[in-house]
Amino acid sequence: MAGIVGYGVYIPRYRIAKKEVGTPWGNSAPGEKAVCGSDEDIVTMAAEAMVNAINHSDIDPTEIEAIYIGTASSPYIEQQIAPILAETLSLHPETTMIDFSGSLNAVANAVLGCLDAIAAKRIKCGIVVGCEDRATAPGTEGDVNFGAGAIAMVIGTHGTIADFEGIHTYSTLFMDRWHATGDKWVSNWYDYRFDREYGYQKHVIEACRGLIQKLGKDATTFKHVALPEPDDRIRDLPAKMLGIPRDNLAPVMSSTLGDLGSCSVFISLAGILDSANPGDRILLASYGSGSSNAMGLVVRDQIEPKRKRIVPLAKYINGRQPITYTSYLKLKEHLVRAPY
Amino acid sequence: MKGKVAVIGVGMIKFGELFEKSLENMIQEAYLNCLKSVDKGIDPKEIKAAWFGQWSGGYIGQGSQSGATLASMIGNLDIPVTRLENACPTGGDTFRHACLGVASGLYDVVLALGAEKMRDKPSAESMMAAGGGGADTGWHPSWMLGQGGPVIQAMHAVRQMHDFGYTMEDFARVAVKNHLNGTLCPFAHFQFKVSIEQVLNSPSICWPLHLLDCCPQTDGAAAAIVCRADIAKRYTDKPIFVLGTNVGIDHSQLWDRNSFVEQPATVKAGKGAFKMAGIKPADVDFAELHDCFTNTELLNIEDLGFARKGEAAGMLKEGQFDRNGSRPINPSGGLKAHGHPIGATGLGQILEVVTQLREEAGGRQVKLKNGIGLQHNIGGPAFGVSAVNILSRTS
Amino acid sequence: MAQPTPASPLFWRFNAEVFRLIGIKCQDCGHISYPRTKICHECGSLNVQEYKLPKKGSIHTYCVNWTPPPQFEPPITPVVVDLEGGGKYLGLMTEVDKPEEIKIGSRVEMVLRKIMTDRGLNVYGYKFRLAEV
Repeated sequence: MAGIVGYGVYIPRYRIAKKEVGTPWGNSAPGEKAVCGSDEDIVTMAAEAMVNAINHSDIDPTEIEAIYIGTASSPYIEQQIAPILAETLSLHPETTMIDFSGSLNAVANAVLGCLDAIAAKRIKCGIVVGCEDRATAPGTEGDVNFGAGAIAMVIGTHGTIADFEGIHTYSTLFMDRWHATGDKWVSNWYDYRFDREYGYQKHVIEACRGLIQKLGKDATTFKHVALPEPDDRIRDLPAKMLGIPRDNLAPVMSSTLGDLGSCSVFISLAGILDSANPGDRILLASYGSGSSNAMGLVVRDQIEPKRKRIVPLAKYINGRQPITYTSYLKLKEHLVRAPY
Repeated sequence: MKGKVAVIGVGMIKFGELFEKSLENMIQEAYLNCLKSVDKGIDPKEIKAAWFGQWSGGYIGQGSQSGATLASMIGNLDIPVTRLENACPTGGDTFRHACLGVASGLYDVVLALGAEKMRDKPSAESMMAAGGGGADTGWHPSWMLGQGGPVIQAMHAVRQMHDFGYTMEDFARVAVKNHLNGTLCPFAHFQFKVSIEQVLNSPSICWPLHLLDCCPQTDGAAAAIVCRADIAKRYTDKPIFVLGTNVGIDHSQLWDRNSFVEQPATVKAGKGAFKMAGIKPADVDFAELHDCFTNTELLNIEDLGFARKGEAAGMLKEGQFDRNGSRPINPSGGLKAHGHPIGATGLGQILEVVTQLREEAGGRQVKLKNGIGLQHNIGGPAFGVSAVNILSRTS
Repeated sequence: MAQPTPASPLFWRFNAEVFRLIGIKCQDCGHISYPRTKICHECGSLNVQEYKLPKKGSIHTYCVNWTPPPQFEPPITPVVVDLEGGGKYLGLMTEVDKPEEIKIGSRVEMVLRKIMTDRGLNVYGYKFRLAEV
């Protein structure tokens, strides 16, 4: 199977303490989250992640034959993001340009799309991009927890730093939270305990179990495990049910950067790859709206010589700048200046 | 040009926020004042061509105008009239075309009139329109957002501070001088003095420029009647002769420019005009220069050769450019105090030069040596257009 | 007065120049003109070659604009940047917390940012960020 040739992340520098956002409305959560600046959005974040990924990959952008982008935060229902990002890399019009949206599984779906195109020998090398900055409304759980960030991964067959070993998906009709067309925000969990157990945990567990079986391995062989983090503790049960040691779970990110939605598990992956060793096995599973894609990776030798070319996740985590709740309100456009 | 063209009449209205006056009101008043100023009288029918300077119609709510606008407002539909625009030098260039019309031999007597109605829109809007702050520039907003006179001249000011050690006090001193001059000029928009502290304490518009470093948004109109030099005495015993007239051009994209302490448009306009006039900068007694911003006056002084680069601020401090200094600059109060109704500005400056050369300036009269005065404008999206006219009381 | 939306031919025409930074370098006088053009802006020569502007440079001059257009929070910081290898670029700074940090000669790099939104469509372009030393 193909693998990751190089990757890059971007996290905006602003941070707000979650309790500042929640307390006025009777909510709270520990930690802080990342917030986009007034001239940033999913496109600008994606653009920088892509530059980082290209630099890490040490390829010429002209080698990229397809761009797959996944987001649940597109500003458009009809108008693609991929062509804008293709311009930033000066890609050829014959480049495949596909937007995946509609759920927090979007980036994982974009990975599938890219891998399928490579497996079908339609392309040799593509770039998968994820970017998230979901719209929120005051008083919602999402307003307290949702962060912003982007990830880009060049996927191909040459010079890979980690190869995919297997994919297993598990999807059912399940509604936990949603963002309807006319709404300006993502809804709360319909029922958190129901949604956590029968939504997130059920689908993640089934997808991972299926993959582990497919690969004929034991859960403990995965040195690093990445699962999406809507909150700090939601990964505990799947880890336990699958027999994954808690120490193998990627470091908690939701209380430093917030819930990064469709990018969450892949940004965790980037953090893992920043320090993983050749031979390490990685298990990851996405989740969004009743769908989970589990993927297995094995780290290759190339990871070490290329390591000096990365801009590590830690740099973005540490380059933080706290803002006030008032600034937050303006940046998220909860407060808008009157036109006249 | 020498010995071919003379100014026989100049007229204007007081510049200011003229909320009660429409474009037509202003044009008619300036025109009538201009006719009246011709000492021995003139029949309007003797005017055989006209040039109408107006910088904008559409941007500031005045619609799309043409030569017919002026013609119908002055009730003369029998002559060719052209509306002309060349950014901030519109007024000076309108005067230049009138001179070219006479020098060509085609017309004996012509009219140049400039008018601008800026205050039908809030001043922030017309200032934005003057630079195209948003997307409406024909260029991409990632380059042009917020661009306009203040941004461009502030960028020059920053380099002047860096390269020559100029300070915000140096810039403020221009406003002090020009406001003082303005209090003696009945046509000036502002009739109050300012101190350096007042300038530096006024709100920051575009650091390092403050509100009082910037010329105002003004309404106004001004006109001149120009004729063949050899028939000037029919109309006045004090004709003022045009020695040189020129337009200098530089880039229209700011990022094509090389230097931000020199504006080549002015340099070229000046050089060409001096050459045509057969004189040197040192021969000029006084000048009306385009001080849209205080630091711009220092640039203009240096670009025209009245001071070496980096020396204008020092000379200003010594008082050399004061009304009673060795080379008065902007005895009218300049754009800073006299105002900048864009299409009319240059012609208002011509009126000042003519009035001074005729020694009819009363309390604000400057001392004349050679009887030569210079008028200058500069503007455009990258300040790439400049007009210079040189006038003299002898031909 | 309605402004052209990002959907207009004006913006579409500029895509290559804005995103791909394509200008020209005059083979006769060396001047770099941007966006790309057939005739050198400096000398009028037709002997021009496509030239991709670099994304790094240093500040040639700047100012701090406290009176930007209505929908923008003041201040905004326009800069003219001396690009590496020649040519200049006019743009806005981003991530400027203290205008005092900006100096002539400061090293900067281009990053993609959202410039404005019109009728729901976003306009993207490059802004400059202080580069790490």
